[in-house]
Order: sequence, then C-alpha cells, then structure tokens
Amino acid sequence: MDEQTTVLNRSRQPLTVTLREFELTDVDDYFVWASDDRVSPWWRWDIFTNKEDVLTFMEETVLPHPWMRAICLDGRPVGAISVTRRTAEHQCRAELGYVIASQYWGRGITTEAVKLVLGTIFGDMEGLERLEALVLVQNVGSQKVLEKAGFTKEGILKKYLIHKGKISDMVMYSFIPSEN
Amino acid sequence: MNHDEKNQNPKTPTITLRKFTLSDVDAFMSWAADPRVTRFQRRDPYSDPADALAYITTHILPHPWYRAICIDNTPVGSISVKPAPGEDRHRASIGYRLAYDYWGKGIATEALKLTIKAAFEELDHLERLEAIADVDNPASQRVLEKAGFKEEGILRKYVRLKGETRDMVMFSFLLSDAV
Repeated sequence: MDEQTTVLNRSRQPLTVTLREFELTDVDDYFVWASDDRVSPWWRWDIFTNKEDVLTFMEETVLPHPWMRAICLDGRPVGAISVTRRTAEHQCRAELGYVIASQYWGRGITTEAVKLVLGTIFGDMEGLERLEALVLVQNVGSQKVLEKAGFTKEGILKKYLIHKGKISDMVMYSFIPSEN
Repeated sequence: MNHDEKNQNPKTPTITLRKFTLSDVDAFMSWAADPRVTRFQRRDPYSDPADALAYITTHILPHPWYRAICIDNTPVGSISVKPAPGEDRHRASIGYRLAYDYWGKGIATEALKLTIKAAFEELDHLERLEAIADVDNPASQRVLEKAGFKEEGILRKYVRLKGETRDMVMFSFLLSDAV
C-alpha cells in the first residue's frame, strides 16, 4: 500500500511524498544519497563510491529488511526509511531510521515520511507499543524532524553507540501511540 | 577473586564476589525461587532445583561476567555484566539480584561498587556501564544512585515483563566518572 501526503516545494507548488518498497532498479537513486558526502557523516554506513557496492547493499540489506521503504517525492526515491523491530522481551519496541539526499534537506520531506510511518507501522507490527529513534547529539536537523513528527525526547544516553569509529552520545526519542 | 573493600559502610556485612560453581545451587534457590525477588525479572521463580542447576550450567557458567555476591563465601545474590551485542563492545549492562533477607543492608550497593571497579579493569574497551530499573522499583533505583550511576531518562514501554509492557529508568556509569 502506498502512503502519501503533500509538502510544498520552494515555489509553493505542492509535491507528493509517498512511501513504497524498494526494487533493485532503484539503485541509481539510492546511489545519490549513499554517495553523498553531506549525508555520510550522519549515517552509520561508510560512504559508497560505486553503484556495484550499492547494488550489493540493496540485495543484502535493503530488500531483505523486514520493513524498509523508499521515501519518494513525486514518485522518485529521494531517501529511505526503516523500522527495525527488537526481539524477545523487547518486541514491544522498534527503532526508526531514515536518510534523505542532502538537496532535499530542510523542506519537511523527512518529517512527512516519518508521519506516514507513524500512521501505518502500529497496524503493520502487531504488539508494537514504542517506536524509538537514536540521534547523534550534534544532529540538530534530525532532532527537529522527530520533534515535528510528534516524538518525545526522553534523555541523552552518553557514550551509547560507536558512530564512524567514535563513541558518541545519542539522544533517545520515542513515540508511544497511547501517550503521544 | 576477592575484592575486600576496607571502607564499606560499617552496617554492611563484608561482601566478596566470586564465580559460581554447581554446588551453589541451594544458595541460588534462596533468591531464584522467591517471587519477591523475581517480581521485576522476566522469569518466574524456580520451584525445581534441577531447573536452577540447568540455568547455572547453561547460562551462568559460560557467561562472560557473572558473579556470586557472597557473605562468608556463601552466595546471597548475584551480579552480572553483559556486553552489548554487535560492534558496541564499549558498552555493557549490569543486572543483580539479592535474597530477600539481605535487602536494606547496603549489600547490593556494595556489590555494584565492586563490580564497577572490576568490570572497567577486566573488560577491554569498556566505557559505559548501564542498568535499567522498573519505574515501580524505587529501591533498585536508589541502589544504582548510591553506587554512583546517573539517571539519563525514562524509556517508556521499553520491555515486556510477565505480560505487561513496562517503563524503565535508564542509568549509566561512565569510565570517565570512575575517578
């Protein structure tokens, strides 16, 4: 099912943000943000320098992912958003992740994509009660996305994750449908 | 390995940490079979020592860091440090349990202090110890605070416990705090 909403482009013309599953034929579009050196510092993966590697990544990680979608602007993938559910006693929660090509930053597209996920994920994943996201303390842009989408900041987990080889402080956000 | 601490609270009995052996099964049952102790644990109390023996064998003995909290070398509880999965080896989480009769004497706090010291010494690359306590378990929250952990926030609907989804308080103790 395609989820959609509308944002405005710079000249105030409406554009449509939709989510859909990825296909290998999306590799050229995926390469745009995967090779973007403005995106790479914020993303856990190393920057991609060739399309073959992106194709392999799509085959091994993107396509088999239990819940991952292309963020599309007027039907064209400009980023990716994923929800990764925890296991066993932690099945009540899942982690949200997203990435978008830098030329589309600052236009509310990611916020709309997150809102689309919020509208569908709790129905898709039975028993899910918490959607959480961990954001680098320096990544103010991403924090604003989550706040605008209605997430609550719960605290800063110090020295929580290793990001690009560096032990980093992360801000924990969550969305609880019964509370948010 | 003994870690006698000369400046333990005078009201707290002297406690030591050591590895478990299979002969500790009866002592283990003194807390593992008690619903007051297992209230905030995922598992139900043990009723059969054979199950406890299986747990010691399959989970405790091979564990990367699991110790008996002892008074006069008799286990009255346990404490464990579990490294985070995957690449985040700089991070580990602590869990502990104490027989009911030994609550309220500062024993868990003392065991935590000994464990913090030992974990940072023994576990390579460790920079962050963390622990979560149920929002309805203020006693455990106090123990962590007294041991020097800092509260970082409340993680809502974080874990499933006995059919309920619980809010948990996240605490951390950083290597840089261990001065």
